[in-house]
Amino acid sequence: MSRSSRRIQPWRDTAIPRRPLLWLAAALLFTLPPMFGNLASWVPFLFLLALAMKFWMEPKGYRLRSTILKLILAALTLGAIFLSYDTLKGIEPWVSLLAILVSLKILEAHTAREFQVMVMMAWVLCLCGFLISQDLAIAFCLFVAFALLIAALVQFHRGSSPGAFWLPLATTFKLLAQAAPLVVLLFLMFPRINISFLFRIGDPHPAMTGFSDRLSPGGIAALGTSTAIAFRAEFPDRRTGPTGPMYWRGLVMWHCEGMEWRAPYSPTSNSDSSHGYPASDKAVRQRITIAPHGARWMFALDRPFGISSGTKLARGNYLYSVQPIRKARRYEVVSSTEPIGRELDAYERREALQLPASISPAVRELAASLAAHDSEPRATVTRALQFFRTQGFHYSLSPGEYNKNDLEEFLFHRRTGFCEHYAASFATLMRLAGIPARVVVGYLGGEYNDLGGFFLVRQADTHAWCEVWIPENGWTRIDPTTAVAPDRASQDLSSFLAGRVASGEMATGRSSFVTQLARLALVNQIKSLWEALNYQWDTRVLGFDADVQDVLLTSLGLTNSGPLPLVMQVLIVIAALLIIYAGWMQLRTRPRADRIQALYERFCQKLARIGVQRDPCEGPSDFAKRAAQSLPNESERVRQITGRYIALRYAPGSDVSSLHKFAREVNAFTAHRQ
Amino acid sequence: MKAGRFPLLYPTAGFAALLFVLGAMWYAASSQNSPAVYLLLFGLTAVFLVSIPHTLLNLADVTIAPESAKPAFAGEEVSLPVEIMNCSRATRRGIELFLPGRGHERKHVDYIAAGKAARVTLRFPAEQRGEHRIGTFRLTSIYPLGFVRVLKRFTSSQTYMVYPKPSGDPRLPVHRARSPHSRPQTELAEGDDFAGVRAYVSGESQRHIDWRAVARGQPLMTKQFAAEAEGSVHLDFSALRFHGVEEGLSQLALWVIEAERVRRPYSLRLPNTEIAPAVGEAHFHRCLRALSLFSAREAA
Repeated sequence: MSRSSRRIQPWRDTAIPRRPLLWLAAALLFTLPPMFGNLASWVPFLFLLALAMKFWMEPKGYRLRSTILKLILAALTLGAIFLSYDTLKGIEPWVSLLAILVSLKILEAHTAREFQVMVMMAWVLCLCGFLISQDLAIAFCLFVAFALLIAALVQFHRGSSPGAFWLPLATTFKLLAQAAPLVVLLFLMFPRINISFLFRIGDPHPAMTGFSDRLSPGGIAALGTSTAIAFRAEFPDRRTGPTGPMYWRGLVMWHCEGMEWRAPYSPTSNSDSSHGYPASDKAVRQRITIAPHGARWMFALDRPFGISSGTKLARGNYLYSVQPIRKARRYEVVSSTEPIGRELDAYERREALQLPASISPAVRELAASLAAHDSEPRATVTRALQFFRTQGFHYSLSPGEYNKNDLEEFLFHRRTGFCEHYAASFATLMRLAGIPARVVVGYLGGEYNDLGGFFLVRQADTHAWCEVWIPENGWTRIDPTTAVAPDRASQDLSSFLAGRVASGEMATGRSSFVTQLARLALVNQIKSLWEALNYQWDTRVLGFDADVQDVLLTSLGLTNSGPLPLVMQVLIVIAALLIIYAGWMQLRTRPRADRIQALYERFCQKLARIGVQRDPCEGPSDFAKRAAQSLPNESERVRQITGRYIALRYAPGSDVSSLHKFAREVNAFTAHRQ
Repeated sequence: MKAGRFPLLYPTAGFAALLFVLGAMWYAASSQNSPAVYLLLFGLTAVFLVSIPHTLLNLADVTIAPESAKPAFAGEEVSLPVEIMNCSRATRRGIELFLPGRGHERKHVDYIAAGKAARVTLRFPAEQRGEHRIGTFRLTSIYPLGFVRVLKRFTSSQTYMVYPKPSGDPRLPVHRARSPHSRPQTELAEGDDFAGVRAYVSGESQRHIDWRAVARGQPLMTKQFAAEAEGSVHLDFSALRFHGVEEGLSQLALWVIEAERVRRPYSLRLPNTEIAPAVGEAHFHRCLRALSLFSAREAA
């Protein structure tokens, strides 16, 4: 064992070591992106300023000392946050407050102990980042920050060991790589035990999300970028969804105000629910997990008829809940793919033909021209769709502002709109043409999640379409949007828009440079890779919530005996993994046994078994002499083995072959008592 | 050196903070039903769990070898050099060594490369005279993340000496009765003739340290001066006019130091020990050792 001089430090708690502080600062920088754009803009800037100040203050030994100053700063912060947000409720003010408190802590900290507190606070900042945004790019930054924090801790405990960058990173990667299987196991299997009922912060009644009972121009387009989950649907009787586009019926609007439509304030139950069960090949059973949206409507494929308890079927054939939906709920419903009901009573007819007074003459003229040639409703519908198809209408997520009387503006001048513009104007035109019509709001499409075997429908998939009364057919679905954008019905909105942008048909408010850039092959490849990653992140990670986990665990047959045995099983697997890791690391770092010594000891043991004990302080050659005397038959071999041992042990330049010979001789050596 | 059978593992203060953070994450994840936050929660949990075997094995095949501690006078500091050896094939980091119950000093070694050793010196106050067992060393480490601490205990049967605290009258005793042939001696605090140097014993007056030698980088040495007056000094415990045993031992220790410094042969007589007059380092330590091991009950 050679001795080398090591740097030995006295107990260090007078300053934050510089190297770990650098790692920590890098990690804190990566927690910033979610703050920009989501919090009041002064918060991240103050945070950056504090970080920069720290690097100026630390070498000089300055720090925030005065308690009074700290209290004043904290109070000022609280005031500023209140002024920025007008409230202290909700996530953003609290995250802002935390970010500022972390900044103050950075300015104040000056000991090694506080360094660890700062790392913990930075982890909480990562958590806050996820509460603000779960975008893949943000998530990427936050996981980088997460890894850098581990590197900071590793560097902190390494002290003055050589290697300031790659070696701590290597240790961090080793830890992360070993942790990865555990994360997957915990994420998939560990029951999502809800502890939020223990103490509740904030409003127990979340605000309404998704569409409202009023269809105003631009209302659905505003949801076009929302990745929030509306509901999930499984089809228990079949592997995938039904063929053809999936129209998820949400709410039926009867009241027309031109470009704006409204649902009845209180839904009335469907009096017309006496029709029989449809043929089994036309019935689709769905199991739907709905996210809380605060309102009472529920979703099902067009058109629902079999209902579960706690729900009703409203006039217009849509589902609504007896209670507002304030927490996630799962229900089963059966839908028929063919129209139901062949009668239109007088009340409904009157309702379905109601029109506002303020319709401009030009629009009335258009409607009259659509209906003029004959009184066949189908022909009128076809002509109206033809009008949309041929008159240069554009489908756009940002169609500009319209108000409810801008029907003429939309139909004759701007001709750019999103689904709600088309649905509202089409239905109004139909009513003007004397055909009973109504608007249906719901969702169109959904992305299939092969992990959970369900369709995920997001708020971005919100869609509006029309139903018109055709006497021999009943209420018939007409989607005027497909006349303008034929692909929309076969895809979910995001992939539809992505396709449009890539082919250059639609500019989403970007500069022409960006559009040109988007045409470059490499950029496109990177973009599609990113989109694919995004899709995986959305479906595999963000889509894997407690309900999906429940589905997975049930399909694996692991939920039979409650969460506790499952927790135990997961813990046992984890313990086994940790033991494997420990064993592997121990094997790799264990000192190499001295093979020559071990062989010689074995030789001595063999001799001891026949009565020739080696004295601990007896040299090998002395022992060999004594052994040869007491074992005259074996004296030659004893001498030979001992000679080889001494040569291997003490002579310079002994080679491998003589070690093998030595091993063979020792193994072959057998002596008998004489 | 033989270690305790199993290394112990226990949580640190950082673990409590981690639990708090994990609790916050769990709460946020379950109240928001947010898989992303669950991912973060499980990520942190998994990294913590994986760090446990890393910490546990950070002391595997690390052993210590205490060297012999130099004797110290009571009230001074014992310094105990300890060699920490890393017999494994990996670099071991963040190792701390301390002796519980003996001062609060923890020696921190940032790293020991594979197959190398580090030498630390534990210092702790020498309190009572006598021979003391070193006891149990504790070797700990919290590397890499600091959430758990691994503890290995090494019990040592090694001992160290604490000599009585030298105090009292520095003038050497005069023995008229015992040396009738010699003239009454004048008090000699020190001689004038330089007689050489010897190793410095902690607790001695620093006035006689050969500082020039220290400046040349040599260890602490005490300059010795031959006294003019000849004849040996008889240090007799029973002749002391003290009431307390400890006081007497302290006075004798001081005289031993003084006599050694002026290179006058001295003999020591305790109720159950008698050391013949001599001078020199071995004699010096022999006398002080006898003083520290002196037990009044045994003597009586």
